[in-house]
Amino acid sequence: MAISIKESIVAGVTDFWSRKIRSAVTILGILLGTMSIIVVLSLVNGIYSTTTAWMTERGGLTKIAIDNNREYDNAQNLPEYFTLQEIELIKSLIPEATAVNPQMSSWLSMSYRDKKENGLLMGVYPDYALVEEWTADRGRFINDFDVNQSADVVVIGTKIRDELFGSKNPLGQFITINDRRLQVIGIMEHKFLKNNGIGNANALGWMNRRALIPLSTMIHKGTGQDHIEELTVKAASPEEAIDLKYKLEAILLNLRAGQPVFRIESNMEQAEEMQKNFQTMRIIIFFISLVSLFVAGIVISNIMLATVQERTREIGIRLAVGARRTDIFIQIVVQTIIIFIIGGFIGVVVGLSLLSVVSGYLGQPIIAARWVIITAVASTLCVGAITGIFPALKACNLDPIKALHYE
Amino acid sequence: MNGIIEISGIEKEYRMGKITVPALRGIDLTIMQGEFVAIMGPSGSGKSTLMHILGCLDTPTSGDYFLDGEKISAMKKSKLAAIRNSKIGFVFQTFNLLPHLNVQKNVELPLMYSGVSPRKRAARAREVLSDVGLGDRLRHKPSELSGGQRQRVAIARALVNNPAIIFADEPTGNLDSVSGSDILTIFSNLHAKGHTIVMVTHDSAVATRASTRVNIVDGLIG
Ligand SMILES: Nc1ncnc2c1ncn2[C@@H]1O[C@H](COP(=O)(O)OP(=O)(O)O)[C@@H](O)[C@H]1O
Ligand SMILES: [Mg+2]
Repeated sequence: MAISIKESIVAGVTDFWSRKIRSAVTILGILLGTMSIIVVLSLVNGIYSTTTAWMTERGGLTKIAIDNNREYDNAQNLPEYFTLQEIELIKSLIPEATAVNPQMSSWLSMSYRDKKENGLLMGVYPDYALVEEWTADRGRFINDFDVNQSADVVVIGTKIRDELFGSKNPLGQFITINDRRLQVIGIMEHKFLKNNGIGNANALGWMNRRALIPLSTMIHKGTGQDHIEELTVKAASPEEAIDLKYKLEAILLNLRAGQPVFRIESNMEQAEEMQKNFQTMRIIIFFISLVSLFVAGIVISNIMLATVQERTREIGIRLAVGARRTDIFIQIVVQTIIIFIIGGFIGVVVGLSLLSVVSGYLGQPIIAARWVIITAVASTLCVGAITGIFPALKACNLDPIKALHYE
Repeated sequence: MNGIIEISGIEKEYRMGKITVPALRGIDLTIMQGEFVAIMGPSGSGKSTLMHILGCLDTPTSGDYFLDGEKISAMKKSKLAAIRNSKIGFVFQTFNLLPHLNVQKNVELPLMYSGVSPRKRAARAREVLSDVGLGDRLRHKPSELSGGQRQRVAIARALVNNPAIIFADEPTGNLDSVSGSDILTIFSNLHAKGHTIVMVTHDSAVATRASTRVNIVDGLIG
């Protein structure tokens, strides 16, 4: 009848207390390994979710954006813009798209009475609101009627409102852009995303500097030419976004003699790319942590070997009174695992506290996912079991007589 | 009539590099149930080697060993551990107690390895400890006891599993004469109660009390 695991645990804990300094050092090693797995993996996850949030704020995973391809050397001088006719053609070729928005933009000074502010003037379709998942929350957004009439109306971002109107109600007022008077019909929702680590900076502040007018107004009362530099499209779902992107690629190549004049970006595709990169990063980090845990394990294994050496006589006595080799083996493995459990537990606690400190510093909650904690604990215990095996094998193979006479 | 111990042609050689040291050179011996055997002989004659083989702590190079009808000489190490645990109590010259365990826990140790429940273990350990006169020292560490007391703990530990036979290798060798004679009295009493005892001793007074005397000279019974 072998000694029970419970007995081994009691023996292990007793032994643990009788060697405080040694136990403390080994625990420190394990603690650092477990802690680093938790902290670093959680930080990577935190960065990932921030980036995902950023992407959602920029139109979500269903958005596809087209503009001119800066890497293409346009030697044939092909048009790097769309005409309204082409936009209509493209639109008819992609009926599955839920929204299509051509847009032109230009950085201009905007004024109201004696106040001036620079902002991005954008000529858009009503679909802009659908593609960007962003609309006016006071007044209204541009509608089809505005576009048909080339109406002199403008929807402004919160930054422009603040600078030009202060606390005054801008709705119905006229602002001047490029010597044209445009009536304010709406205020866009305030865009805000906390910047990582840089206090309260708004990572999306530049979007609040936009002023949106009907595309037709931009064309007819501006340059007079329909040179549309940008086209954004919304797919019905993230999965369809990728198909739609490839379809658009083919359409655009056809329109421009097979040349990649335009660049097409799908948020979904970027997200998948990012997902892959983050997965690679997680795996690399996990292995680095695992290696450091193993190094700690080797050190601990050596300490346990030294302990076995020191306890040779004790093991001899245990063998002499009837302990079997398996009893001794289990005892040593259990003792090693106990040290790893204690170290791992403290590592989890320290890791989580460290994360909350880092969260406080970044002003953004970084939470250790359950799988991160489980991974950290499981790998710690595995390393513990593996490092416990060698000293345990040495101990259980001792010859009782030699062990009893060991000095 | 069969003995509790029957050995024949037991040889033991120690290999030290290229040299082999013959410690036992063909021992035949039968020990009957209830006997008190005193093993005597000069230092280095092979007494301890024989005790270790009889106590299943070591295996002979050749020869046969039957304990309680079981052939020990052909057994694997794990089986030997079980035999040591259930049939044998061993008392060493140097006590061999675990220093960080208290008296009671030391005595409980063989019971722990035979899977007795903690409560029964404690009760049995207290019983044998009071038999050897240490009922009031249960929580003491070995370092807090005298040599004679330590050896009594070791005897209690040897008795705790109700072994078929008790081996003692110079149990008084590290003790002053007073504690030594106390220990010998305990062994005499155990013998009187029917225990089988095999003891290595230099004390001819003990030897006269023993029922059988075995002299070993140069690895042979002389
Ligand atoms: N582990 C060992 N390795 C080598 N030689 C040993 C070992 N143990 C005992 N011997 C030798 O075997 C012989 C018998 O020793 P031992 O049985 O201890 O004698 P005793 O107990 O009668 O003094 C001695 O010559 C001793 O040196
Ligand atoms: Mg000896």
